[in-house]
Amino acid sequence: MTSPDLAAAAAPRDAVPRRSAASRVKTFAGELPLALLVLGLVAGLIWALSGDSFALNILATTLLFAGLAGAWNIIGGFGGQFSLAHSVFFAVGAYTTANLYLKLGISPWLGIWAAAALSAAVAALVSWPVFRLRGPFFAIATMAFTEVALAIGNYAESLTGGTRGMSIPFRLGIQNMIFRDRLSYALLMFGFMALSLLVVVAVNRSRLGYYLQAVRDNEQAARAAGIGVLRVKLTGMAISAALTGIGGGLFFMQVRVADPAAMLSLFEFGVKFALIALIGGLGTIYGPLLGALVIIPLENWLRAEIGGTLPGANLIVLSLFLIGAALFMKHGIVGVGRAIAARVRRPRP
Amino acid sequence: MADLVNVVTVGILLGGIYALVSVGLNLIFGVIRIVNFAQGEFVMLGMYGAYAGYAFLRLDPYVSLLVLLPLFFLFGAVVQRLLLAPLRNEPSMQIFATFGLLMLIENVVLALTRGTAYSVPSPVSQAGIGLFGIQVGVVRLIALAAATAAAVGLGLFLRNTMPGRAIRAVAQDRAAATLMGVDVERIYMITFGIGTALAGLAGCLLAPIYSLSPQIGTSFILPAFAVVVLGGLGSVLGAYVGGFVVGLTEALAGYYLDPALKYAVIFGVFVLVLIVRPSGLFGKVGAEEVGLRDQS
Repeated sequence: MTSPDLAAAAAPRDAVPRRSAASRVKTFAGELPLALLVLGLVAGLIWALSGDSFALNILATTLLFAGLAGAWNIIGGFGGQFSLAHSVFFAVGAYTTANLYLKLGISPWLGIWAAAALSAAVAALVSWPVFRLRGPFFAIATMAFTEVALAIGNYAESLTGGTRGMSIPFRLGIQNMIFRDRLSYALLMFGFMALSLLVVVAVNRSRLGYYLQAVRDNEQAARAAGIGVLRVKLTGMAISAALTGIGGGLFFMQVRVADPAAMLSLFEFGVKFALIALIGGLGTIYGPLLGALVIIPLENWLRAEIGGTLPGANLIVLSLFLIGAALFMKHGIVGVGRAIAARVRRPRP
Repeated sequence: MADLVNVVTVGILLGGIYALVSVGLNLIFGVIRIVNFAQGEFVMLGMYGAYAGYAFLRLDPYVSLLVLLPLFFLFGAVVQRLLLAPLRNEPSMQIFATFGLLMLIENVVLALTRGTAYSVPSPVSQAGIGLFGIQVGVVRLIALAAATAAAVGLGLFLRNTMPGRAIRAVAQDRAAATLMGVDVERIYMITFGIGTALAGLAGCLLAPIYSLSPQIGTSFILPAFAVVVLGGLGSVLGAYVGGFVVGLTEALAGYYLDPALKYAVIFGVFVLVLIVRPSGLFGKVGAEEVGLRDQS
């Protein structure tokens, strides 16, 4: 699989003079204006919808998943390591935040950073042996890990409430991260999405980002070029898991009740992060945001329209999206956009 | 002591079930180099097929087999042709595609049955035999026998028949097999068909044992993956032996530790194998990587 970035960079090279933007190494500062523009557009969207609490609710979920899919994309898209264990890091973050808040009275605003650290530590510890495996085998091992985490989650009742679940009492207040109006949640999730996007840009335009893509495209060549493959994968995984843990903490503070089976659901979280990244564009910076803007509202609509009459109907549609994208749209929305742009820029002779 | 014998018996019978589910998965992996996440769902479809045969035609699950196996073979061949053949050499897209298939089958069955749990009675489903003072269910013994027969039969087929040789040739070296005049695409369809039919066989035989639910596929696929990794990727014998190892581990862990932690123990074994011997007990060294190298 060639990187979409490389393909895009290679295409216009012969058409334009040598010192084009595409052939220069992209930097964090160079990407920043576009990232801020995108964030500004999303902020405008929140402002436009600020009167409609139903739409704000969906937008909050969309932005949460955009941030989570962006986090998954760091290791799954740039690094090419197909992790299905992200629902575990998500749950670790959620339970860390919730337990710190309920048992020690630590505000979730602080708790999410502890959640990030613990999620990253769990991710690094688990990935260490599993990173020997590649591609599908890595996916299998991480999927098995989700199942183990579920068993442990149901077993450790003091931390998760076991199968009965755990709930956070409704105590209004900004210090508790509990709000009545939907706008606050939309802004909270916007903050998370912005954090995730900036981290993604920083990783993507750094040495680590290029290393990750080198490892994805050819692990042996990357090793031969002197890249510490395991270290690169572990660092990418830890950053990705830390963001996912923060997202888990925010999610739990928003829904305020969950049991391990719901938190560790592969379809609802682990695979959905990957699906959103794929639909938007694997290994691209803005793909996960675009994917979330398509998938989450669509899923909400499906659940409301046909979910009541046909159980699982929303997941049927999502799975068809998944198969369809794998077959016909491998580079997602971003890939389609690039293909169209390339065609417009250079019409057929 | 009686406890131990009891637990070991349970483990062996469970191992038979896992072996039955894993043999097809490992055949598909070994030849096509695709990890089929939907294999557990094929087993689940087999169980519902047996239920459909019983509900509409009053057929015993062991009779439904005769109709279902060819259907599953065709279904597998179609899946390979339409879904997986276009994704050759694209491992991540294969994961997306087979995982999408898993989600699709599970939720279509959920939508069709609306989540009602079914059970399939068979004349022998309640029968038991006393062995060394332990009651053993006949249906579980049949599953064990079928797993053995399937593994031996598949081994003989691969060793002694022309299509079997072609399948092994493709597994060893796709390019060379093509040059020898083997139609690789056809072999892939046959292999995926056989793998799917084995899953259907497992489903039919397990229908009288388990209560049917759309989610049951997932509870087979994870032990089956553990079996495949443990026994060696691509080895039929490995899948058979690995089935018993995983079954025994699960039974012992469930009895002596805590039933809730059996998956954690299996995963522990899984990780241990990966560290000590990534190619599994019977696999060729390096087999765990070959699946990702371009083969063309």
